Amino acid sequence: MPRWSIRGSTLAILCVAQFTTACTAARPGVSAAGSAAPVAASAVASPVAMTASAAPRSPSSVEPPVASLAVEGGDPVAGQLGSFTWNARGSDSPWLPGTPLNVGTGERLTVTLADDVAVTDWSARQVPAGTVNGSGGVPLGGGPAPVTFAAPGPGSWSVQVVLRFDGGLGSAAYYWRVTVR
Amino acid sequence: MTTMTRRLRQSRPLRQLRRMGPPRWLAIAAATIVALNLTLAGASAHGPDPTLSGGPFGQNQDLRFRWRSGSEPTAAIKTAIRTAAADANASRASRAATFTYDAAGSNPIGYGVGATCGVNGLACFSRTVPTGFTMWLREQGHVFDWGTMKWCQAYVTPPNGCYDAEMIALDEFGHVEILDHHVNYANDTDYEDAIVQTFARAKLVVGWNMHAFGRCDVASLQYRYDVSSWASKYSTCLNLTTVLTLAASPTAIPIYGTTTLTAALRVADDASYLRLGGNPIAWRIVTLQRRAPGTTLWLTVGTMSNGSVPGTYLLSQRLTSDAEYRAVFKTPLDEGLVGNTSATVHVYVGWCNAAISRGGRSAVPCI
Repeated sequence: MPRWSIRGSTLAILCVAQFTTACTAARPGVSAAGSAAPVAASAVASPVAMTASAAPRSPSSVEPPVASLAVEGGDPVAGQLGSFTWNARGSDSPWLPGTPLNVGTGERLTVTLADDVAVTDWSARQVPAGTVNGSGGVPLGGGPAPVTFAAPGPGSWSVQVVLRFDGGLGSAAYYWRVTVR
Repeated sequence: MTTMTRRLRQSRPLRQLRRMGPPRWLAIAAATIVALNLTLAGASAHGPDPTLSGGPFGQNQDLRFRWRSGSEPTAAIKTAIRTAAADANASRASRAATFTYDAAGSNPIGYGVGATCGVNGLACFSRTVPTGFTMWLREQGHVFDWGTMKWCQAYVTPPNGCYDAEMIALDEFGHVEILDHHVNYANDTDYEDAIVQTFARAKLVVGWNMHAFGRCDVASLQYRYDVSSWASKYSTCLNLTTVLTLAASPTAIPIYGTTTLTAALRVADDASYLRLGGNPIAWRIVTLQRRAPGTTLWLTVGTMSNGSVPGTYLLSQRLTSDAEYRAVFKTPLDEGLVGNTSATVHVYVGWCNAAISRGGRSAVPCI
């Protein structure tokens, strides 16, 4: 087989793998970002004081639960709550700068909720820190829970995570200013 | 094939790849795949706005609002809210609830420090179906963690960075109807498809001052409240399958006799279409095509006229020989319907009434 044919076959295999990954990501319970960068054993998070109350929320409360972002082994940092709909009420906000969080390159970030509320699907995206209006967002991941994605590349980013809650409770956007070393 | 020919036929990018060593080539392929993965992940969720729990209000229910006592908006903000209500009524393209200012209305809209919005919220709402709603807008100058509230309506020359109260109020009216935040593409290129957005944009970013529901807002309103009439356009944010049938009456005629072909066009009766399933689709362009039996070439006869029954289309034909017909509804560019073609209908033409009464088969002898 000529050299080019061998490479062409390799490309074909990679393409099949690509679409297999896309299909896998679409299955319930499998994260679209699940095959991204591995967790760094030396992950060190620098938690910053929360700007929102961490008190557990029940579905009868007036706001969605606090969402926290953390790297493996790091302290969770509560996100800045933006627009949300929750229990037949809601609030609208602009793109927010986000709560500061320092992480290492390649670390895996996971969002947890302060209350026992199930997430049906999520999406995360980044813009350079300081960008107003969230223009030019770049996707970091999305799909059904769990909410986990790889940290963006080195730099300072405003990261938005949108969660849609189970049972028609509503949706909410949370923001962090993530500095990646 | 010569070597030169092969080189000419091989594209430049492929030649460049050939010159690379395997590790570099594979690295580029892998990077491309990762980029494609991210694109796919971000592009997977475009469509009609999600909806809130609690259900819709009544079709065309008139929701009357008043200014909240002690928290009345400024004159400029009142004008913006009233205009937003008119925007909602004018652009709903459905039987969604309407909003009307009425000093005695039961639904209060407030402005100022009493706002019960989230800590970072410009405006907020609550809805209680079927009785009503509340709405609040923050006061000009309110200090947030992220900045100071600036309503464009508070200025003679609105500065960049201000928020358009008319658009924000329209966003809240959309929530009141039933709309949750639209799920955009990751890069927000479809931001203008919905006014009910996860984050509001300030002057002068694209989409900062939209004054009508976007097509994906309308799509959800149509799902939940139905279209205004059978002739109304369906939002281009939808992609509804249609059903097109055709019947001839009578199916057998004498030579030079006349038959009337009647097409019926409707939205497929799909449960996911909610109120739209099974709707007659009236006043569209449905064409009639004809071919001789045993042939494959269809010729367009003409555009069918609207029947008295909504969603039906008629055209009469005078025939001298058997013919086959079908109706065609082409996918329109200006609404969210998928075109369709009916099954074929055979019209028989007989030599005498006896043949006609037996179904027009030509083998029936005339007496």
